[in-house]
Amino acid sequence: MYRLILPMRYLLKRRISYLAVLAVALSVFIAFVVLTVLHGLVADFKRKTHDFVGDCVVTSRSLVGFAYYADFIDVLEQSGLIEAASPVVRSYALYSFHGRSERTRDVQIMGVDPVLHSRATGFGASLFHRQDDVARAFAPVYDPNQAGCVFGIDEVLDRNEDGHYEHYPSPPRIRYDITCFPLTARGALLKGGTGGASTKAFYLSDTSHSGLARVDGRIVYVSLEQAQALCGMSGQTPRVNAIHIRFVPSVSVPEGTRQVAELWCQFKLDKADAQFSYLLDNVLVQDWKRFRRASIAAMEKEEAGIIFMFILVAITTAFIVFVVFYMIISHKRKDIGILKSAGVSGLGIVGVFGNFAALIGFFGSAGGLLGAWVFLRYINQLEDWLHDTIGFQLWDRTMFAMGDIPNTVNPYVLLAVMGTAFAVCLIGALIPTWQAARLRPVETLQVNQL
Amino acid sequence: MSDSGIMVEAQDVSKSYPMGSVRVDVLKGAGLSVKQGQFVAIIGASGSGKSTLLHLLGGLDRPDKGRVCFRGQDIGRLRSSRLDRYRNQTVGFVFQFYHLLEELNILENVLMPAMAGKGVFQWLACRSDARKRARTLIETMGLAHRVKHKPFQLSGGERQRVAIARALMNQPELLLADEPTGNLDSATGNGILEGLERLHQAGQTIVMVTHDSRIAQRASRVITLLDGRIVEKTA
Repeated sequence: MYRLILPMRYLLKRRISYLAVLAVALSVFIAFVVLTVLHGLVADFKRKTHDFVGDCVVTSRSLVGFAYYADFIDVLEQSGLIEAASPVVRSYALYSFHGRSERTRDVQIMGVDPVLHSRATGFGASLFHRQDDVARAFAPVYDPNQAGCVFGIDEVLDRNEDGHYEHYPSPPRIRYDITCFPLTARGALLKGGTGGASTKAFYLSDTSHSGLARVDGRIVYVSLEQAQALCGMSGQTPRVNAIHIRFVPSVSVPEGTRQVAELWCQFKLDKADAQFSYLLDNVLVQDWKRFRRASIAAMEKEEAGIIFMFILVAITTAFIVFVVFYMIISHKRKDIGILKSAGVSGLGIVGVFGNFAALIGFFGSAGGLLGAWVFLRYINQLEDWLHDTIGFQLWDRTMFAMGDIPNTVNPYVLLAVMGTAFAVCLIGALIPTWQAARLRPVETLQVNQL
Repeated sequence: MSDSGIMVEAQDVSKSYPMGSVRVDVLKGAGLSVKQGQFVAIIGASGSGKSTLLHLLGGLDRPDKGRVCFRGQDIGRLRSSRLDRYRNQTVGFVFQFYHLLEELNILENVLMPAMAGKGVFQWLACRSDARKRARTLIETMGLAHRVKHKPFQLSGGERQRVAIARALMNQPELLLADEPTGNLDSATGNGILEGLERLHQAGQTIVMVTHDSRIAQRASRVITLLDGRIVEKTA
């Protein structure tokens, strides 16, 4: 029982203990707030990327694309693995406002079937005007007979300081001239010389807001058939660059991707004698994470960097706890002698100071987590207030594609931070406690008598 | 108890301590035996090795040479856990500077030896009996009104009485007192000595260290220590 009573009294009566608790609380506070926000940002980015890509992508490494995609979609549908599959043309293009060719800009063009693509990805939900009628995504409301295009929202609208877009009640009548460079199935320009480009007029039919800066600022969607025509992929054996796939809920992404890869290998063998079978060799089957690994890896690298920095914070905290314990035990040498003279074992002394460390860890992490929870709860209100009062914004919403600062508490992050704080306290107290356990009572009692 | 009635015995014990770069021989072959029920005073000048001998008898330290036996068993050879139990169950210490735990109140200080020898569940099982005994001891020492006080709120004499109550908590066979009145005025010290005498009359075996021959005379037997050796034993 003394192992519980004494640590509690040391904690309450020694002001230096408060410093240790404060050091742990501050470290926990900082770690929990930053990790929650960062984890929220990364999780949000991954969710948006997943929405944009779907579960799995069968993609060509070449802009030439691959043929027989409809046959493969049939194979996929028969497998029972998929909920939807969307063939996609992806290429590069130039666009300009009609009659303003001096304002030509580059863009990535995506040709999609709006219904299929909405089933395979989050495309439909990213639309503003046609969200409930995705089949008419490329039919401009002001003239449904014209070819429509859906631009990434950042190409059309600016964000205000709150991070919101000021949408028009209906899309403005804007004509774009989109130019592509159609390639043959062998990768040559379809039309030689300076006339190699293929241009078509499109009218703005909607905007797409995926929440991904590189997508919303760089992509224009058009219908699959028109993209194929622009890129030289139409004809008797049409081609696409990718098939985006959504698995049925019972199939996990890794397992589904593995099975699709197997089906693709068999499909290639079945098509070995086909005219454009050579295009099938350039095709990869990847899950959404691998498909967008360049972006995700950058985010995960930043997350890892932050975690590494918190390891340094944890080491610093452990050192502070070590110093505090060293000082406390130096002051408590007499107590150790008294306890040992009363028959307390070395293990009992370890119990007293080990429990003391655990109490510091508990109260420090509890205090830090409570403070962090309150701070996170009001972080967006606080940012709004700072913005209104002194014009400070943590992330400039006119630049960063984000809404509120993520503040959803992740139980795993909570447990990890609390567990680490506990471990850090025990590690920091380890050496002083071990030294205390080894103290010979006669040394401490005699010294105190002199 | 052995046939000779000897409870605790030091046989030709030597002990030295490092002091800076040299070792100082504190005890040089000291021998002593204490029978059950005796009140023995060890007297000697400062630095003669009195406290060291007391610590060896109480198992707070181990001799470099020689043996310290309790009822015939060499306590210098006991494993740490057995030695801890010896200090907890068999002996009780009273120190010159009281050595109370400042964070605990008087009752908790007295209860400490009882808590030290038990795990949490064992303690919970016997807690009420232990508290009763601790309160009785505190009352016997005339400190019933101070039960919830902290040591710093007590006078020197009161603190020493708490220390004696703590030493008696586990009903030790041997009470070791190291200059128990050394830090007290004569009137208060006299009260402490009267308390020890009463304990002796009740059958308690006591070994007391002092440098004051008048105080030593209150014991039933006086042993003089000079430069680490026993030079005189007086009945």
